[in-house]
Amino acid sequence: MSSRKVSAIKRNNVKVLGSGVQPMIFAHGYGCDQNMWRFVFPAFEEDYKIILFDHTGAGNSDESQYSFEKYDTLEGYADDILDICEELDLQDAILVGHSVSAMIAVLAAGKQSQRFAKLILIGPSPRYINDEDYFGGFNREDIDGLMEALDSNYLGWAAQMAPAIIGNGDRPELGEELTNSFCRTNPEIAKHFARVTFLGDNRPDLSTVKIPTLVVQCAEDIIAPREVGEYVHKNITNSKLSVLKATGHCPNLSAPEETIEVMKAFLNQP
Amino acid sequence: MDENIFHNLPLESAEELYENAPCGYISFLADGTIFRINNTLLHLLGYEVKDEIVHVKKIQDLFRIGGKIYFETHFFPLVKIQGFVKEVNFDLVGKDGNFFPALINVNQIPATKTHPVTYRASVIDITHRKKYEMALLEGKEKAEEATRAKADFLSTISHEIRTPLYAIVGIGNLIQNTPLDKLQKEYARILQFSSSNLLELVNNLLDLSKLEASKVKLEKKDFSLFELLEGMMHTFKLRANEKKIKLKKDFPIDLPDHLLGDPIKLNQILTNLFGNAIKFTREGYVKLRIEETQRSDKSISLKFSVSDTGIGIPKDKLKIIFREFSQASYDVNLEFGGTGLGLTISQKLLQMHGSELEVKSEEGKGSEFSFALDFKLSKERLPLQKKNARLMEDLSATGANVLVVDDNPVNLFITSEYLQNWGLRSQTVESGEGALKVVKEKKFDIILMDLHMPKMSGYEAAKAIRDLQQDPQPAIIALSASGRGDINLKMERAGINAYVPKPFNPTELQEVMLQLLKGNNHKSGTEEIFIPARDQTIYQSSLLPLGVPSVNFEKLSQLAKGDQVIFGKLIKNSLQSIKLLKKEFIENAFNENGENLSELMHKNTMTLHYLQGQRISMLLENLREAHRIENSENDLQRLRSLIIEELDEIAATLENEVAE
Repeated sequence: MSSRKVSAIKRNNVKVLGSGVQPMIFAHGYGCDQNMWRFVFPAFEEDYKIILFDHTGAGNSDESQYSFEKYDTLEGYADDILDICEELDLQDAILVGHSVSAMIAVLAAGKQSQRFAKLILIGPSPRYINDEDYFGGFNREDIDGLMEALDSNYLGWAAQMAPAIIGNGDRPELGEELTNSFCRTNPEIAKHFARVTFLGDNRPDLSTVKIPTLVVQCAEDIIAPREVGEYVHKNITNSKLSVLKATGHCPNLSAPEETIEVMKAFLNQP
Repeated sequence: MDENIFHNLPLESAEELYENAPCGYISFLADGTIFRINNTLLHLLGYEVKDEIVHVKKIQDLFRIGGKIYFETHFFPLVKIQGFVKEVNFDLVGKDGNFFPALINVNQIPATKTHPVTYRASVIDITHRKKYEMALLEGKEKAEEATRAKADFLSTISHEIRTPLYAIVGIGNLIQNTPLDKLQKEYARILQFSSSNLLELVNNLLDLSKLEASKVKLEKKDFSLFELLEGMMHTFKLRANEKKIKLKKDFPIDLPDHLLGDPIKLNQILTNLFGNAIKFTREGYVKLRIEETQRSDKSISLKFSVSDTGIGIPKDKLKIIFREFSQASYDVNLEFGGTGLGLTISQKLLQMHGSELEVKSEEGKGSEFSFALDFKLSKERLPLQKKNARLMEDLSATGANVLVVDDNPVNLFITSEYLQNWGLRSQTVESGEGALKVVKEKKFDIILMDLHMPKMSGYEAAKAIRDLQQDPQPAIIALSASGRGDINLKMERAGINAYVPKPFNPTELQEVMLQLLKGNNHKSGTEEIFIPARDQTIYQSSLLPLGVPSVNFEKLSQLAKGDQVIFGKLIKNSLQSIKLLKKEFIENAFNENGENLSELMHKNTMTLHYLQGQRISMLLENLREAHRIENSENDLQRLRSLIIEELDEIAATLENEVAE
C-alpha cells in the first residue's frame, strides 16, 4: 500500500536529540503534541538518544497521511511507532507513553517486544468507560459529553466557528487571528481520535507486555483515576506502580521534576 | 457651569472596575483551586456569596464532564506550554445545575518570590451569540443535507442499475462464446455494445456523484506508464479501426516508465478524452502526445494532449462543455450520443491533482484537450504483466479450486460460468455463513467474495476464514460493485488479498487470480479485482462435468438380470416415462411458482434413479431451489431450457438403445 512508503520520520515530524546511545521514545497523549514533553525530555538528553514525534494528525505531523480507516483503532498509531523504530533502526528502546499513548505503547511492545527494553506508562487507562466490575471512571454519556464539547468547543472559537459558518478560505484571517499556536489539530481528526481513545478497550492487551514497566499515577486524575492505574499495574506482570503527589492528568507538564525523578529511579534499576 | 465640579469627582477604583466588569474574572492555582472571582461571574453562575466558591471549588468543577476531560487533555497542557489560551468555548455550570456557553481566555501569571504560579481567566457569556450560530449552522446543514440526499440518490440508483447490468454484460460476453448463426452473432454484438455503453454511463454517474460528495481520494502507487498507455491504445484500436480513424502517438524517446501516482485516475482521464476524440471524429486521426515539461532526479512533469480532426467545438461553447450533461448542441447528441459527463469528471479529477483541463478547438477542424500532471519517478521495478493469450492456459494449469460467494444467484451463475470456461473447478455459496461452512469442510485455493451480503458481510466472512488459520491460506479476492479503487485498509484488515470491481473484466480477474496463485503468498495485493457469489445449490449443474453421460443403463441391466427381452421392455418403459415427464414438465412446470414441480419430480424418482440421470435430477432440484429463493425469471428460464435439452438428450439415448 502506498501509505507505507511514506517516511515515518516525515509523517510524524520525528525529532532526534540527545547524546546517549539507548533510544528513549516519547509518545504524547490525546489533545496535544510532542510539546507535551518539553519539560521532561531535557533531563534525559545526556544519557539517552531522545526521539520525539507527533502522532499522525496531531501537531506538525503530515495531516494528509491521516486515514480514518487506519486510525480507527490504536493499532494504527502503534504501527506508526514501529515504523519510526524501523526507519531509525532503534533497538533496546525505552518507550514512554502518556495518556492514550500508554496503551499505544502497550500495543507496540506487544507487537515487537524485542525492540523495547522498558515501558513507562504515564496516566494509562486501558478502558475509560466503566464495565461491570471494572471501574474506568466514566460512563458512556460522559464520553458523549466530550464529543459534544469537541463539536462546539474546539480550541479557539474563531478558528472553529468562522470556517464552519463562513466556509474555509473565504476569509482566512478570521480563522487565523485567534488560533492558538500549539496543540492544533484538525477538529475532525480530534473528534475521531477522541472516539478511538475513549471508547476503546485494551484491557486484554495488558497481559501481552512482558518487559519491565513503570506505571506512573497522579494523586488526583479524573481521566485516569487511581483504581485504573492499579488495574494496569496488576495486569502487567513485570510492572511497578509509582503514585505521584501531583494532581491532574499531565504530570509531565504540571510536575515535571517529580515525574523525572520516578522515571530515573525506574531506569536506573538494574 | 462651574468648571471646578470636574476636579472633585471620585476616581474609578480598580476594585470596582474589577468587580463589575462586563466580563467575568476568575483566578486559580495550578491545581485549579479558585482563589478570586468577580461579582459579574459570581452572579452569572447564580451564587450569592464568594465563600461558596473561593477556596472551595476548582475551576474544573465549573465545567460539565466533557469540558472537564477537555480541560485536562487540551486546555491545561496548552496553558502550561504557551502561557495563555484564547477564546475557548466551555459550558459553565451554575449553582442550580444549569449551564451556559462561555468564552474563556486564560493568562498564566508567573511565580514570584512571594506567590506561586497563578492563572487568571476572563469569562464572557455568549448565550446569544450561540443562538445565532446555531441558526446559521442549522441552515447550512439543511442545505448541505439536501445536496447530499440528491447525490446519495444518484449513487443508489446507479448501484441498483449496475447489478442487473452486470448480468446483461456478462451474459452478452458468454453468448458470444457459444455457437451462433450470423444473425444471432449480430444481435449479440449489438447487445454487448449497447450494454457496455450503458454501463459506462452508469459508471460515469457513479463517479460524478462520488466526486461531488468528495468521496474520491487520490492514490499514490507505482505503475507502469507504458503499460497503461498500451492498454488504453489497445482498447481504442478496435473502435478506431471500425471508423477507419488513425491512432497516432507522439511520445518523447526517453519517457520514463515507472512512475508514482494515481494510474486509475490518469487512465480515466485519458480514456474519457480519447473516447470523446474518437466519438467526434468522422475521418482523419486521433493523436496522443506526451511532452516532458520538467524533470529532476525524483520527479517529472508531463503534458498530455489528445487532439483530433473531428467536428470541433464552436467558440461560444468552449466554456460550457465542462459542465455536467452539456454538449455543444442538441444535434451533437443526436449524432454522436454520449452524456457529456466525461469532461466534467476529467476536469474534477484533474482539479484534485491541482491541474486543469485546457481546450483548443476550431469548428470543423478538430479539438485538442491537454493537461499537465506531476509524477514522482518510481524506482520500483514492476513485474511485467502476463499477456492475455497465455493467461487462460496458465490459469487452467493451476487446477485451482475456487469458491464463489455472492448473495445474488445471477452473479453466482455468471461467475461460475466464466470459471468453468477457464477450466477451473468451482463451487458457489450464497452467503458469508455458507462460505465459512464450506471452507471448513473443503480446501479452496481462491475465494471470490462479494462484500455486501445480508447478515455476514464479505469482510466478516473473510476475517472468519482467516481466523481458521488454514494452511495454506486461500487467496481471497473481493468482488464488489462499490468502487473502482484499490484494495483498501478495511479489506486488508479483513485479510482480503485483492479487489476486482464488478462487473469484472475477465482478463483482469484472470490476471489477479493467476498472480495470487503463483505468488501463493496471499499477503496483500495491489490489484483491483471484483467478483460476486451466492448460492450453493442452484448452479451445481454447471459444475457437472460435461463428459458424464446423461443416463447409465447399469442399474436397468442389473434389474433385467441379463434377460435382453426384459431389458428392452425396461428401456421402452423408461422412454415413455421420460417423454411423459417432458410433456408434463412443459405443461405444468412452466407456471409462475413451480408448485407442481415437486410432485413431478416425486413421480419420476424411480425412473430417474434406474436411469442414473444425475444431471437431470440435479437440474430439476436446482430449478425447485431457484423457485424457492425466488430467482430472477431469466435464471429460471435458463434452467428450464437446460432441463428440456437434457430430457431430449435422454430420450435420444433411449431411442438409440431401442433401435439396437
